Amino acid sequence: MNTETHEHIVKSYDTELARLTGEIVSMGDFAGMQLTRAMQALATRDGIAAQRVIDNDDTLDAKERQISADVLRLLALRQPFAGDLREVLAALRIAADIERIGDYAASVAKRSIVLNESAPVPLATGLPALATLAGDMLHDVLHAYETRDARAAALVWERDDKLDARYTGLFRELLTYMIEDPHSISACTHLLFIAKHLERIGDHATNIAENIWFAAYGSTLTAKEIQRMRGVSHPTARP
Amino acid sequence: MTEMLLDTSLPSATLTEPESVQTSSPATTKLATRGLNFHYRQAHALKDITLDIPTQQVTAIIGPSGCGKSTLLRVFNRIYAVYPGQVATGEVLLDGENVLDPAYPLQRLRARVGMVFQKPVPFPMTIFENVAWGIRHHEKLSKADMAVRVEQALRRAALWDEVKDKLGHSALGLSGGQQQRLCIARGVALHPEVLLLDEPTSALDPIATGRIEQLVDELKQDYTIVIVTHNMQQAARISDRTAFMYLGELIEYGATEQIFTQPDKRQTEDYISGRFG
Amino acid sequence: MILTLHTRRRMVNVVALALSGAATAIGLLFLGWILWVTLKNGISALNLQLFTRISAYGAEGGLANAIVGSVFMDLLALLLCVPIGVLAGVFLGEYANRSKLGSTIRFLNDILLSAPSIVLGLFVYVIVVVPSSQLTGGAVSFSGVAGAIALALIGLPVIVRTTDEMLQLVPNTLREAALSLGVPQWKLTLQVLMRVAASGIVTGVLLALARLAGETAPLLFTAFGNNFMTLNPLDATASIPVTIYQYTNDPNPAMHAIAWAGALLITLLVLALSLLARSYLKRNRITYD
Repeated sequence: MNTETHEHIVKSYDTELARLTGEIVSMGDFAGMQLTRAMQALATRDGIAAQRVIDNDDTLDAKERQISADVLRLLALRQPFAGDLREVLAALRIAADIERIGDYAASVAKRSIVLNESAPVPLATGLPALATLAGDMLHDVLHAYETRDARAAALVWERDDKLDARYTGLFRELLTYMIEDPHSISACTHLLFIAKHLERIGDHATNIAENIWFAAYGSTLTAKEIQRMRGVSHPTARP
Repeated sequence: MTEMLLDTSLPSATLTEPESVQTSSPATTKLATRGLNFHYRQAHALKDITLDIPTQQVTAIIGPSGCGKSTLLRVFNRIYAVYPGQVATGEVLLDGENVLDPAYPLQRLRARVGMVFQKPVPFPMTIFENVAWGIRHHEKLSKADMAVRVEQALRRAALWDEVKDKLGHSALGLSGGQQQRLCIARGVALHPEVLLLDEPTSALDPIATGRIEQLVDELKQDYTIVIVTHNMQQAARISDRTAFMYLGELIEYGATEQIFTQPDKRQTEDYISGRFG
Repeated sequence: MILTLHTRRRMVNVVALALSGAATAIGLLFLGWILWVTLKNGISALNLQLFTRISAYGAEGGLANAIVGSVFMDLLALLLCVPIGVLAGVFLGEYANRSKLGSTIRFLNDILLSAPSIVLGLFVYVIVVVPSSQLTGGAVSFSGVAGAIALALIGLPVIVRTTDEMLQLVPNTLREAALSLGVPQWKLTLQVLMRVAASGIVTGVLLALARLAGETAPLLFTAFGNNFMTLNPLDATASIPVTIYQYTNDPNPAMHAIAWAGALLITLLVLALSLLARSYLKRNRITYD
């Protein structure tokens, strides 16, 4: 995105766009917090904390509805064009991605409650690491969105491969546990699903990165684009 | 064309030209300019304009006041020649023929390239005569043929049903929107190939504007339409291609969809998103 | 006392309103006075005999020959100046509008418009009356034609001016709309512009008629005057204004009364023409905003 942005002639338009950005960042931060709390509840077998995470999902849904309403109003009243149009469209999609992330965090919490009913199993060592990786991706992509830094978003996008590799490793690890001790199959299946949720959170973070890129350039973020980005170290001239 | 430096550290959108630009690019060019310049008195109103206007499509010209968009339109049918001291150089090609050539017959050009103006200007005659008057100069028709021709034109302009019972009434009694459609009927009655519309709805209310926009959409099946408009939403709604002009220069020209979602030039983006006026 | 801005503005407004109102009142006062005096003196002398009898000394006289002469010469003058004036106006408005030639002609026309009418009378005397007298051995000298020519010179600039201005009022977009249909300029002028400007031009003609009907000076040395009825354009011809002039110079009060009646007739004619012109314009005006 062009780093230097001219202001709109109608100032309230800028205010509304800025508010939209603020709402999305706050919604994203909230989803990140939900994830952290769900993982804590899982580690500490704290059913009350897990239930709080599940209840909080309504707040996230409400935030998403608010963003949808704002986007609707912007489209109807401002008729945005070009970069503004892409930005508004991206905001709508990013909000949907964050909402899904929140859903996965709530699912982690739900499964932690179920896990509490069975005997404690040692958490797979890779699970908290996977959660950290996914949480960091979300955090960094939100920061990239807030600062309109498409380059940073592209870097987050690349990290999804690492997350996927971790997930595959964890999958094998849990499979090994299940083979070793058939009694743990039920618990490990839940852990497997949690791992899958975390992997999906990473996918949504990459979706957000793609939308940031789209808002900036109107094109699809691909590995080729990133290669090109790396090749060009200086500001380029458009013909 | 000028090169524009962008203060971005990222690859540019030109590297990822969307496919829509290629697919909607013109099959045939109806009207084209080559190195067109326009001067009046000391002013250099058009600077080296080169563009191709595709046949049977709607091409919108947008830009802030004084950018030369109306001037460009007025070169296409040489209506500027009414005023002394206005000079166009370069080429305007209609089906490949240079119409700026003084040898090109002016009346034929204007019969082939019709024009509708910002304010509706019906002639002080009956509704029927308003349409028939122009035809009469170019063709000798029998009374019956003329009646058919007038009806066709009025139907084409979506005005027939409203005026069929008062063809003998003065055209000055029509509403603004009806008058503007009468002016369009007057233009299409000559069976032109190109129709130039100079802000045709700026004096009309939204309902009348909607009617004209619908009409433009229907007319493009038969005519090549060039429309100058101040209303960017209108350009986005009705045109296939959009040209953005600024200070007499053609800044960007492309598929309307591309111009309004992903313009190449910073100036275009700033203009269409309301960042300068 | 300190006046607020608002109060001060209101006071200025009241003073300005009072001054301009007083000025208007003074103007209207004199107009009313003139009309009153003309009416008072004219009406008492007005009778049928004025229209049936020709000039004669004393109370026996009438204005029949003067009325006929006036109408005859005024119409002849219109016949001369309307075609020339309208064509010249079209030339100015349509063909020479922005050119140097156009503005020069416009300037000269304005001079003619404000030229003293006696000068025009003398001019026609020198170029028409004197040569015709010399050529015909005095058989034709003062004549209705000469009078009409002099009157035409009065009316001509009025018509040129109004035609020109009426065409200026036609918006350029109307011209462009017609020309963009591939129609030539002459058709545009004749079939569109003249139609739009027609009401204004007719108004101009009526006003020109009102103006030349009241002229005395240009007729003194051209049509001169005639105590008999004539419709021969080569004869000296009577007219109401000249008759008024001659009768008021007579010591006989009966002649004065007839002069007043003539003055009333002329005044009513001019008034009627002005009203006619106004109402005609109001009814037939074609406007584009």
